Amino acid sequence: MAQIETFYDVMRRQGITRRSLLKYSSLTAAALGLGPSFAPQIAHAMETKPRTPVVWLHGLECTCCSESFIRSAHPLVKDVVLSMISLDYDDTLMAAAGHQAEAALEQTLEKYKGEYILAVEGNPPLNEDGMFCIVGGKPFLDQLKHAAKDAKAVIAWGSCASWGCVQAARPNPTQAVPIHKVITDKPIIKVPGCPPIAEVMTGVITYMLTFGKIPELDRQGRPKMFYGQRIHDKCYRRPHFDAGQFVEHWDDDNARRGYCLYKVGCKGPTTYNACSTVRWNEGTSFPIQAGHGCIGCSEDGFWDKGSFYDRLTNIKQFGIEQNADEIGTAVAGGVGAAIAAHAAVSAIKRVASSSHKDQGEQES
Amino acid sequence: MALEKQLELGDREEKVRKQTAVYVYEAPLRLWHWVTVFCILTLGITGYFIGSPLPSVPGEASDNFLMGYIRFAHFSAGYILAVAFIGRIYWAFVGNHHSRELFIVPVWRAKWWSEVWHEVRWYLFMAKTPKKYIGHNPLGQLSMFCFFVIGNTFMIVTGFALYGEGLSAGSWADQVFGWVIPLFGQSQDVHTWHHLGMWYIVIFVMTHVYVAVREDIMSRQSLISTMIGGWRMFKDDKPD
Amino acid sequence: MSDLNAANLDNSGRRIVVDPVTRIEGHMRCEVNVDENNIIRNAVSTGTMWRGLEVILKGRDPRDAWAFVERICGVCTGTHALTSVRAVEDALGIQIPYNAHLIRHLMDKTLQVHDHIVHFYHLHALDWVNPVNALKADPKATSELQQMVSPHHPKSSPGYFRDVQTRLKKFVESGQLGLFSNGYWDNPAYKLPPAADLMAVAHYLEALDLQKDIVKIHTIFGGKNPHPNYMVGGVACAINLDDVGAAGAPVNMTSLNFVLERIQEAREFTRNVYLPDVLAVAGIYKDWLHGGGLAGQNVLSYGTYTQVPYDKSTDLLPAGAIVNGNWDEVHPVDVRDPEQIQEFVSHSWYSYGADESKGLHPWEGVTEPHFELGPKTKGTKTNIQELDESAKYSWIKAPRWRGHAMEVGPLARYIIAYVSGKEYVQEQVDRSLSAFNQSTGLDLGLKQFLPSTLGRTLARALECELCADSMLDDWHALVNNIKAGDSSTANVEKWDPSSWPKEAQGVGINEAPRGALGHWIKIKDGKIDNYQAIVPTTWNGSPRDHNGNIGAFEAALLNTPMERPDEPVEILRTLHSFDPCLACSTHVMSPDGQELTKVKIR
Repeated sequence: MAQIETFYDVMRRQGITRRSLLKYSSLTAAALGLGPSFAPQIAHAMETKPRTPVVWLHGLECTCCSESFIRSAHPLVKDVVLSMISLDYDDTLMAAAGHQAEAALEQTLEKYKGEYILAVEGNPPLNEDGMFCIVGGKPFLDQLKHAAKDAKAVIAWGSCASWGCVQAARPNPTQAVPIHKVITDKPIIKVPGCPPIAEVMTGVITYMLTFGKIPELDRQGRPKMFYGQRIHDKCYRRPHFDAGQFVEHWDDDNARRGYCLYKVGCKGPTTYNACSTVRWNEGTSFPIQAGHGCIGCSEDGFWDKGSFYDRLTNIKQFGIEQNADEIGTAVAGGVGAAIAAHAAVSAIKRVASSSHKDQGEQES
Repeated sequence: MALEKQLELGDREEKVRKQTAVYVYEAPLRLWHWVTVFCILTLGITGYFIGSPLPSVPGEASDNFLMGYIRFAHFSAGYILAVAFIGRIYWAFVGNHHSRELFIVPVWRAKWWSEVWHEVRWYLFMAKTPKKYIGHNPLGQLSMFCFFVIGNTFMIVTGFALYGEGLSAGSWADQVFGWVIPLFGQSQDVHTWHHLGMWYIVIFVMTHVYVAVREDIMSRQSLISTMIGGWRMFKDDKPD
Repeated sequence: MSDLNAANLDNSGRRIVVDPVTRIEGHMRCEVNVDENNIIRNAVSTGTMWRGLEVILKGRDPRDAWAFVERICGVCTGTHALTSVRAVEDALGIQIPYNAHLIRHLMDKTLQVHDHIVHFYHLHALDWVNPVNALKADPKATSELQQMVSPHHPKSSPGYFRDVQTRLKKFVESGQLGLFSNGYWDNPAYKLPPAADLMAVAHYLEALDLQKDIVKIHTIFGGKNPHPNYMVGGVACAINLDDVGAAGAPVNMTSLNFVLERIQEAREFTRNVYLPDVLAVAGIYKDWLHGGGLAGQNVLSYGTYTQVPYDKSTDLLPAGAIVNGNWDEVHPVDVRDPEQIQEFVSHSWYSYGADESKGLHPWEGVTEPHFELGPKTKGTKTNIQELDESAKYSWIKAPRWRGHAMEVGPLARYIIAYVSGKEYVQEQVDRSLSAFNQSTGLDLGLKQFLPSTLGRTLARALECELCADSMLDDWHALVNNIKAGDSSTANVEKWDPSSWPKEAQGVGINEAPRGALGHWIKIKDGKIDNYQAIVPTTWNGSPRDHNGNIGAFEAALLNTPMERPDEPVEILRTLHSFDPCLACSTHVMSPDGQELTKVKIR
């Protein structure tokens, strides 16, 4: 390495003074919800750290995570890729192909053993010996395990790597599994969503670079800073929910006034993500603001919870597809009918026995 | 058992007395029962409307708080139900021996099982006369445990897990019950099962009320008044 | 046609394997044989992933299907969702309001513009542009070049290019080359002068900034990008311009203004940067007219951008099929006709049971995965060194139109539109060709220039211009329609499944960024009974069929000379000109009422 360029160098040569670097750092600190006391720490990290190598693998996927990543506005993805990290392998964007691409991967794994971050988009299929996803003539699973072996940390981009997502929806024909099923000895940071929000992706990476540690994770392995709250908790339409004002049908007056989408199936109340706060595409909007309910794309198994437009979701455990109210009213109806029948028989018996008793008393 | 013996003895000693009364349900227990009744009614109705909200109200959002009140009532009733249930558990330790029937089902006793069978036959109109019981009859005790104790615990645990989501991560409810969410898969699943739990409780209530009324009429002891005054009245002096 | 048949290919020469093919969507492998002069004489393209999405769709609510199939691809995000809601609406007989029609068009064209720009700059450019060479450039010369090729582009000062160069220099000197590591930077196949390389690097970065803004049109109407939301029966984004609550409504005056600005930006970038860059690259690579393949022979388009709703004759880019290089005859295409579009599997990792040579229309499609390598394969099942193309060799099926392998995509659309007499397209093509001829001193005709790797890349850029321009028309049409008193965005008459017939079947078509896209659906008892998609890369990346007809990727690679056979610059160049999308191409479904055979875990 001729010279290791730090993030500060990058900013310096872009004409940014140390004073504005500090300002940038305090903004970053604020954006990450860290408070102003962290700003000097961020500035220091940017001044001194070389770019961290990142290996970005692709399994069964649709590449929406990569597409989302390049939408990042704060920071701009060109700054991330040119100045913050060293994206040493990413088959969607890298110049080299074939043998040269594979060689680039090997070089990084060797040279930065234990130092590189492994980012995984998509997931490995286990059926057909893993050959439903082939890279370099071999199963993707092999490449994944190989690259995970000496990684410092592993990021699971999106719902595929985190939960399994669409290819793992019933009946999961390729037996695609989330990466934590095959990488069991490394910390995995799950950044779910289909895809995750761009600024959430770059936010997770810059947090790791800045603080030199993985962000605090919740029970399910997601960074608390972005997945600690439900979309519902910070939704701008929440006052209409509390008031009891709902969109009853698509394009009704309530839809035009921006009422709550709860009744048309919005999954905001059960979905942990930053959509209603960070919003999408540089804060432009988010699904609920654009009039369609949340489909819950950052939640485990969201594909298999019945229609996206139903409030009550289907319960498949009984082998029938019915929601709780359908099951409940059916069973309660059955029990009610049984009670009525039982009461009737009881009454008949009682009348019969009392008349029998009367008879007996008369006889005695 | 001891009380039953006492009762038999009493029968022998006081031949003249036609009917017997035993103090079964102490005041805190009765209070708990009726508080729980109130809570379950509130929770069932408000819970249903949380799942399927009422038609939209007109006017400015800031002037209305319908869903908010419904949810508030649900959460308040949930809290009272849970606290009362904890009180009920405490009472099982300090109350009379009937107060433990709800929690300790003597499944290890053959005689108990034979009485369960007798009760089943009574309900299926196969036995002519029911037996006398000071506390719950064995079948009643079994159903109370399965439907009420388990059902109520399930609803409290899932309910507070969901409540913890609103209280936000790190809240007491999240710390105590947050593990429930990943156990079920995700929040949506917990909602669904909590909703299904409501129907379980509805079925319990239907059966419970029906059986209480029916037994009040057809069995050999009082039921409904017992949960009001605490005294179990027996309608005849025949043994067992 | 005869030379585009497996029987005429020579696979005796040296075998070159490229796996993974990078800068594409999904997973792909390519093997070629070169002769003693390093000219490609045989090409084998393989889709190396399968997800079984349509298997997963079976039994689900048709109104949910768009979300599932949208996840076929996150690059051409939204196009599958749009095609899916069209298929469901076709099956159920739902007509959408005019506003919804326009908003869907705006979203669809946004994707087209975005996808084409990202494709050219971030997936394709490094096949032509050498960023390392840009370090040698004189920023002043680049500035002059920029002002010459595009006088209206504001970012053209020597200082600007110096900054870009300095940044690049620091990046290269850091020793951490990142995405550029192991590139082919000393390969003589790269021919741009340093000044042009530097200009292209600057535009690579500008396009990266711009692409994140264009997609915000999706964010306004669909809530997010990638994967905006669509809806059966119209669009979910209700319109409220002047009533109470407009500020919180999805479509209001501010969002319409916002959309208009994004459209203007897209038009300016396309005119001032994208198109001039493509012509500049073409001018310098003027001798590299390889990669025509099927384009000069068989092309197919379903037609798109219908002006008058439900009247296909008003398509801006019309439907049609051209076969055997006869540009004088455009055949009509009927996606419902079981004789026209059929899929074959004799060289795909699927089984049709006893008769492997039959073709099936998508409504009757059968898909059973059947992974099996031919006897001449080198390597093992889980470590393939060389494939045996005489047997099954790809997760992509082989779709055929009346038995012909077809090329689809912007070039196919442009050839069909040109020969169908669409004036806007003719003006674009003629203008570009004369600019090319003028700058190179050549005198190429349409048929010599268009069916080539460069022609494919140019058609994509022209289409980007067409879309950006017509988005402006759509925007004005939307505003005028609202002005006329129509704010409706959804038709909910048949929203409730109880209003549906017991059985229904439908087809949705679209021209996706990469070409003709069709979704065929069968609905029974309110649930999906069968779902089939034939996507552009299934056409272009198709393996051979039982008659030996080769697909567009393979055909386009033939007869291309390689500077250095070990460095697949030329292979990448031509493959990338199709913008392959492998996640799209490789997913299929079980037949009517027939369960997918259980895949054993061995």
